[in-house]
Parts: sequence; C-alpha cells; structure tokens
Amino acid sequence: MENRKLPDESALTFYSRVSASISHELKNSLAVINESAGFLEDIMLMAQKGRPLDPKQIGTLAGTILRQVQRSNAIIKNMNRLAHSLDEKRASIELTELLGLMVRLAERSAVNKGVNLLTDFPESAILLTTCPFYLETLAWMLLDFAINNCGGDKTIRLSAALSGSGAQIGLTGFEKISMDAVDDFFSGRLAPLLTILNGDLTVDENDRRLAVMLPETVSQTSKT
Amino acid sequence: MSDNVLIVDDEKEFLDLISDRLEARDMKVSTATRAKDALSLLDKESYDAVVLDLQMPEMDGLEALKRIKEKNPDLQVILLTGHATVEKGVEAMKLGAMDLIEKPADLSTIIDRIKRAKAEKIILVEKKSEQRIRDILTRKAW
Repeated sequence: MENRKLPDESALTFYSRVSASISHELKNSLAVINESAGFLEDIMLMAQKGRPLDPKQIGTLAGTILRQVQRSNAIIKNMNRLAHSLDEKRASIELTELLGLMVRLAERSAVNKGVNLLTDFPESAILLTTCPFYLETLAWMLLDFAINNCGGDKTIRLSAALSGSGAQIGLTGFEKISMDAVDDFFSGRLAPLLTILNGDLTVDENDRRLAVMLPETVSQTSKT
Repeated sequence: MSDNVLIVDDEKEFLDLISDRLEARDMKVSTATRAKDALSLLDKESYDAVVLDLQMPEMDGLEALKRIKEKNPDLQVILLTGHATVEKGVEAMKLGAMDLIEKPADLSTIIDRIKRAKAEKIILVEKKSEQRIRDILTRKAW
C-alpha cells in the first residue's frame, strides 16, 4: 500500500491529540478553581469592610472547588492509565475497561461535535492478550471516525462482545458507511494497526455498522 | 455608565462565578453557554465587549467570532482559551479578535481588556459618526 503509515505515527497522533484535549480540560477546571478563589478573596475584602460573611455562599464555593478537584482528578487518572498502557507492549487486558477509557478520552471531541457516545458492554469480562497501546490507538481512531461521520440522531454506540475465541468491537450510528469512506478517512493509517493487532475490519453498509474482530491472543510474531 | 459585557463559555460554573465577580465591580453581565444563544442575544442588545471561549460544543469560538463580526464589525471580541496555540491566535486576530487570553486568567486582566474593548468601540463608532456627518456635509448644498 503506497500511503501506508507507520503504526507509531498514528499512535503518536493519538497520544498528542488526547494530551491536548486533557490539558484543555484541566485548564477549564483550573479556571473555575481560580474564579472560586478570586470570589473568596472578594468575600474576604467585603468582610473586612464590615459586610457579614454568608456561610451559605462560602459553602457553595467550597462545593464548587471540591467538584473541580474531583473532575481534575478523574482527568489525571485517565491520563495516568493511558500513559501506563505503554508499560508493556503485549499484555492481558479487559476489553470493555480499555474501550471505556477511550470513550472518556474521546468525550470532549464528541461533545464539541454535539455527539453522544453510548456504550453497550456485556456484564462479563472480555479478556484479551494484545498490544494495549495499539488497541487504544485503534479504538480512538474508530471513535474519531464515528464522531465525524455521525448520523442525524447524533448518537454513536460502541459495543463489545465475545465472538468465537476472540472479541468483536462494533460501532453504529453512522449517517452512511462504506469501506471506501473508511479508507478515505484513514488514508492508510488503519491497516498497519490491524496487522499488529491481528484484527479484521468489516463494514456493513445496510446496517451502517463497522466491526473489528480481535483474536483472544495477538500473535507473537506481530511486530510488537 | 457601567460596562455591558457578554460572556460566552460552555463551563456553567465558570460563567456564574465570573459574572458574579464582574457584577460586583459594577459591570452589566449577560452570559450564554452556547455560541448560538450568544448570537441571539447580540440581536437584542448592544454590548461593549464579548468575551468568548474558543472551544465550545456545536459552534466553536472562531466560527462564532466570524459571525459576530459579520453582524457587528465594531463589536470588540476577546477570546478566552484553555490552550492558546500561536496558529489559533493568528487565526483569531485575522478574523478580527481584539485579544486572546489564556485560561486561567486574572480577573484584573479580563477587566482591563473589557475596558480597552469599550474604548476601542467608542473610537470606532465616533469615527463612523464623523464620516457620516462629513458625507452629509459634502452631499448637501447648505
């Protein structure tokens, strides 16, 4: 394939875009904390001039700060989990957990496009031995494609299920979908990832569904 | 006369806090969490300045800036952003933004930009009025 890109190039793009999104989210959270601190200063200055302190107002500000700290903590936790997925090139993972993380990381991008991301995951665990970071890259790229090709109801559903000895990831909610559209969007970036992950991508134009089959264990001969 | 400002940001808590703090400093503040709502407010009221978040759902800050400038070229727009890249800054300035402030920003910086925006708007409006008067004087034979 002429314009086939190296998988690491796609992975780096994924990592940098997620980092940018995370830093943006953290800045938003810091901006709220900053304004809350400023408001407390305002209250303090007014109290020094004789205006009585309003415990309810201070309680509301404390609540805002706490919520933003929790929000920032959740964002950093996601970042930390993503960073640790590079620890081992090949590892045992739980698929729905990995996909859940990717949905959280893609959420801002979805919200910006007015798209809802829904998941349909089984109760039982789906364990795979795979290349975690490349699988995350693939899942994020597919979510990016879905967000940018979403249908009128602006809802994308991501599913995961056991299939044969492996697992299947499914995406629905497209305006329309074809293999040509997938190829155009990814321009050669998908095939190397699928090769490494021993994955197989299929497109059902009638059901407007995209699916990726993954093996229970990625082959040792994969370039990991 | 107090400064009349419109602040547009999808972070509701940020909007509530900053508007309370600006109002405590005698500013008249309107808010919108979506660019679409901000454009509707601009049809109804005249503002001295608009403080606009760059990244928002549905319509982002740059698109909103373009539409605001189409509607009202004299209105001064200050962009607020969580991640100011040089490219975005250049693009914003080309589209007519007065300034770009990075979050989290000091309130004093935001107030300073709003005051400057108001002064800039007054100069532009005065220049236009002068031009109109000159046009009338040259057209009419008194």
